[in-house]
Amino acid sequence: MANLKLLAEKAVQTRIAILQMIYQGKGGHIGGALSCTDILVTLYYTVMRIDPKNPGWEGRDRFVLSKGHSVEGLYAILADLGFIPRAELDSYRGFGSRLIGHPSNKVPGIEVNTGALGHGLSVGVGMALAGKMDQKDHKVYVLMGDGELAEGSVWEAAMAGSHYKLDNLIGIVDRNRLQIGGSTEDVMALEDLKAKWQAFGWEALEVDGHDFNSLVELAKLPIVPGKPHMIIANTIKGKGISFMENEVGWHHRVPNEEEYAQALQELELRMGAF
Amino acid sequence: MIKYASTRAAFIDSLTELAGSNPKTVLVCADSAKVIWADGFKERFPERFIDVGIAEQNAVACAAGLASCGLIPFVATYAGFITMRACEQVRTFVAYPNLNVKMVGANGGIGAGEREGVTHQFFEDLGILRAIPGITIVVPADASQVGKAVKAVANIPGPAYVRIGSGRDPVALDADLPFELGKTRVLKAFGDDVAIFTNGHAIPRALAGAEELSKAGIKATVVEVHTLKPLETEAIAEILAKTGAAVTVEDHSIIGGLGSAIAEVIAEQVPVPLARIGLRDRFPESGPAEQLMDAYGLSVGDITAACRQVLARKEGRHG
Ligand SMILES: [Mg+2]
Repeated sequence: MANLKLLAEKAVQTRIAILQMIYQGKGGHIGGALSCTDILVTLYYTVMRIDPKNPGWEGRDRFVLSKGHSVEGLYAILADLGFIPRAELDSYRGFGSRLIGHPSNKVPGIEVNTGALGHGLSVGVGMALAGKMDQKDHKVYVLMGDGELAEGSVWEAAMAGSHYKLDNLIGIVDRNRLQIGGSTEDVMALEDLKAKWQAFGWEALEVDGHDFNSLVELAKLPIVPGKPHMIIANTIKGKGISFMENEVGWHHRVPNEEEYAQALQELELRMGAF
Repeated sequence: MIKYASTRAAFIDSLTELAGSNPKTVLVCADSAKVIWADGFKERFPERFIDVGIAEQNAVACAAGLASCGLIPFVATYAGFITMRACEQVRTFVAYPNLNVKMVGANGGIGAGEREGVTHQFFEDLGILRAIPGITIVVPADASQVGKAVKAVANIPGPAYVRIGSGRDPVALDADLPFELGKTRVLKAFGDDVAIFTNGHAIPRALAGAEELSKAGIKATVVEVHTLKPLETEAIAEILAKTGAAVTVEDHSIIGGLGSAIAEVIAEQVPVPLARIGLRDRFPESGPAEQLMDAYGLSVGDITAACRQVLARKEGRHG
């Protein structure tokens, strides 16, 4: 039984780290980092089979952060789990740091370099195929943004995922309904998104991407053998910091001193409540 | 009489052999199995064959995923669909993370695209890949060399590209000749008047040019540069210092390929007169390979004229 309280606590802790990294590093993509924090926390603290002491362990589950610009939360979690030293987080975006603005496989625990959008699912298809070929039981989790679903290559991967019956492949869409240019439905409409994945042969499920009760169910996937699974996780961009929530401008704005102080206060208040 | 042998068949034969000895070998196609004559491989290793359909971006990124799990994927289809359609996947998802993905591009050059037209003739592939860090780039001379080159790139970790042709490819070299990755080699040394650097299916033309020049008293050295990256710069510089004049002969645009690579060595290390033979920054027509190459500046006459011209410049005459 997953410890929901622990997950909630880790989520606030991760959000604080995201805020600090972006404020100190003077750059980042805070809105999307905050919207997928609860998903990342659930994957790393309960769902995935990983070994921080042995990042290259062959039997590990694979994770691909296709929305690579939301890397801050991933770094914070990797540090908390011991993949990288906690102090390294201070080097985020600095010269010579391994912790650059998008994931790189120089960082222990990160499989592939991502951030150019729309490619992660294809890489995940390859990892899942490798598992099937070698009769390995690892699962592959690919976290995508909703904006990047406009890339055609995503749908090439969608076809291959169902064609090869990759039930070891689990995609998650961070469905925060915003992208840099505005609402996803204004920029390039995605709905009916669930029907699209179903039409491509995927088992598609919708969850509240901030509800740990639902998110922990990810551990039970796949529920339909022979099918890849796509989880549409409905989220709020900027989640956890009141004035950032659902505000498109916070896609990649860096908080000023005052905003930083207010945001930190909000999060610390929540931390104190545990 | 020119003899022909298929570089595509040579690739698949070699890959099939590799898969027999290393079960990690995987062939990834984008509905390109017929293109690269892969039926034999499919039959012998159905579980080591992946077809993603006509979706090259997915093929390359998927290969990156396979490689990240320890497999050795070979992505094979037309050269341009790998290097152009999936260019970003090659750069960001294969080269940048230094994954062990091998790429094999067919119809390299205008001659290889005979009768198919520009959509299937690729004379920019080498220039595109040369601009991306970390990819080993090989242009084997002919079918027999392709077979050996494929094994050579399989033996080194990291991304590599092997350029192959149309399937009707002139035999350029003695079948017994070995292939040594990263090494230039002198194919014919009449003398040190001029160096002719060449590769791929342009080699027979370069050799014919050197032969003709020798009859006229001009002594050329024909040097094969099959590995464009990493380039054996020292050996090339040494030859340039000896000859003091150079011509490059390749079936590729004069921009970005062998001509550019040699020009870079010349400009930075051994400034000598140079002429580049290749496609001169335009789109070719379609037609039989030999006719096309003659028409677009790769005739033996073009090669000998270029040699005379650089020689004149070397001797201070007006070329
Ligand atoms: Mg979004």
